[in-house]
Amino acid sequence: MEVADIISISKPSKFEDVDSDIEMSDGEEPRDNGIVTPGELVTDDPVWMKGHGTYFLKDNTYSSVAGNVSRVNRLLSVIPLRGKYQPETGDHVVGRITEVGNKRWKVDIGAKQDAVLMLGSVNLPGGVLRRKSESDELQMRNFLKEGDLLNAEVQTVFNNGSASLHTRSLKYGKLRNGIFLTVPSSLVIKSKNHSHDLPGDVSVILGVNGFVWLNKTNKSTSNSVVNNKLQSTIDSKGNYDPGKGSVSITRLEEESSWEIYSDKNDKISATVRDNITRYYNVIKALSHGELGITEQRINLGYQASLQFGNIGKLIEIESMENICQDIITNERMRGSM
Amino acid sequence: MPRLELYSPEGLRIDGRRWNELRRFECKINTHPNSSDGSSYVEQGNSKVICTVQGPMEPKLRSQMNHDEANIEVNISIANFATFQRKKRSKNERRIVELKNTLENTVKQCIITTLYPRTLISINIQVLSQDGGLLSSMTNAMTLSLIDAGISMYDYVSSISVGLFDQFPLLDLNTLEENELSYLTVGVIGKSDKLVMLMLENKVPLDKLEELISLAIAGSHRLRDLMDNEVKRHGKLRLKNLN
Repeated sequence: MEVADIISISKPSKFEDVDSDIEMSDGEEPRDNGIVTPGELVTDDPVWMKGHGTYFLKDNTYSSVAGNVSRVNRLLSVIPLRGKYQPETGDHVVGRITEVGNKRWKVDIGAKQDAVLMLGSVNLPGGVLRRKSESDELQMRNFLKEGDLLNAEVQTVFNNGSASLHTRSLKYGKLRNGIFLTVPSSLVIKSKNHSHDLPGDVSVILGVNGFVWLNKTNKSTSNSVVNNKLQSTIDSKGNYDPGKGSVSITRLEEESSWEIYSDKNDKISATVRDNITRYYNVIKALSHGELGITEQRINLGYQASLQFGNIGKLIEIESMENICQDIITNERMRGSM
Repeated sequence: MPRLELYSPEGLRIDGRRWNELRRFECKINTHPNSSDGSSYVEQGNSKVICTVQGPMEPKLRSQMNHDEANIEVNISIANFATFQRKKRSKNERRIVELKNTLENTVKQCIITTLYPRTLISINIQVLSQDGGLLSSMTNAMTLSLIDAGISMYDYVSSISVGLFDQFPLLDLNTLEENELSYLTVGVIGKSDKLVMLMLENKVPLDKLEELISLAIAGSHRLRDLMDNEVKRHGKLRLKNLN
């Protein structure tokens, strides 16, 4: 029985060039661009090393996901179009505590598995970097409990793909005074800095895992101050040693009171609340338009959103698309100048 | 009323199709981007199925955790209004449990489960309208949503049913035909002749079995192409948006 014998009907397609794929697959070399789908032969040349998203059968390398082929030296991998966040060392992430366990917290960071946050890799009240005692172990739930949000850095990634986090810097820790939202992790572009102060007394933490935290700017520990200090330590050493030198010990003593684990929100004025909501909707609009989310784009989007007086209007698809269009035209104009 | 004329002497079936003709097949991928990790919608004639995938994710229960491979769970729910006559179904109905087990076994063979240890992949299938080929449309929808979720699998699994009318094999049965004829459903891996699923609930003469299966494989290959087109179309759209 031949496939050609089968009769099938489907909706007439809208001027799509499905044929162009077939032409491309004639080439001997693995393709750089163009989509491969599961089971598709990527290369029959055994010299290529098999990376993620591929499998190997009888000297042939096949794709195991739908995505585009990437070649780095001899390494051949297929990057899926969509997928779960994969933690990497050094990523700044936002997460939610799911479980309090033996000397560790389990944190949902939107990855395949929950990450662990060891008791030893957080700053505890009492200042100086001290050994964690048994009493600390007993009151772990007073620091962070199930459902709490925190931002942290990925310390290591284990063989099985799960991650371990640390919060040994003043810019990391428990989150309050704000609102949480998620976007696809592929839209967050990795950069040096993932926490930004935005105009209107609002700060944003764009977790690499696609979890975003919008809050009122904290005057005393404005992100930029902490980050500048952090930056200098990174630059002078060349590599970043977690927990070391990111802030002077004296400063840590000042800040590391019980305050940092407080559950109480500060008083937030109505205008700041409005601004936070506006930023929330702008980020939602960016993710709707599948635009990469950066500080600049959030700012541009915020300005574009000001044409809508009513913040609630921003959740309409029309206005979301309007904002995305504004951002794109704005960027084009800047680029051409 | 005499028995329905399922296959006329002119070679036309009850809905005007030829013996080797598929029903209208339409599929969409990434239909629920915000509420799931992967999703799809499949129409085979009047059968309509939505499938969503959650995961790989941390299992809610320790018992669902498997230390060296992913745990895969399939949930099926058939809407009360899915059939011609409104009917309430319980989740534990034997037929549904059997479908669920069949699908779980099928999908375990095509996902590279060792890549996702200690995780749970939960597949939810919602049947909106049922008009024959239930198992096959569920399998096709499941394949598409797994691809959308970016889960590594060896190849597509495409599935179709074939029935036997007298001496003639008929492809892709609808409800009327399913009620009258003996039929089987196969699940095929990609463009190969390998079967990962074969479901036969009634009797078929042994000498006809090979013919039926070969027709089903050819039909499945066609469905795979149709699904592949949709995945590629969607992939291109995404790439275009990114750049």
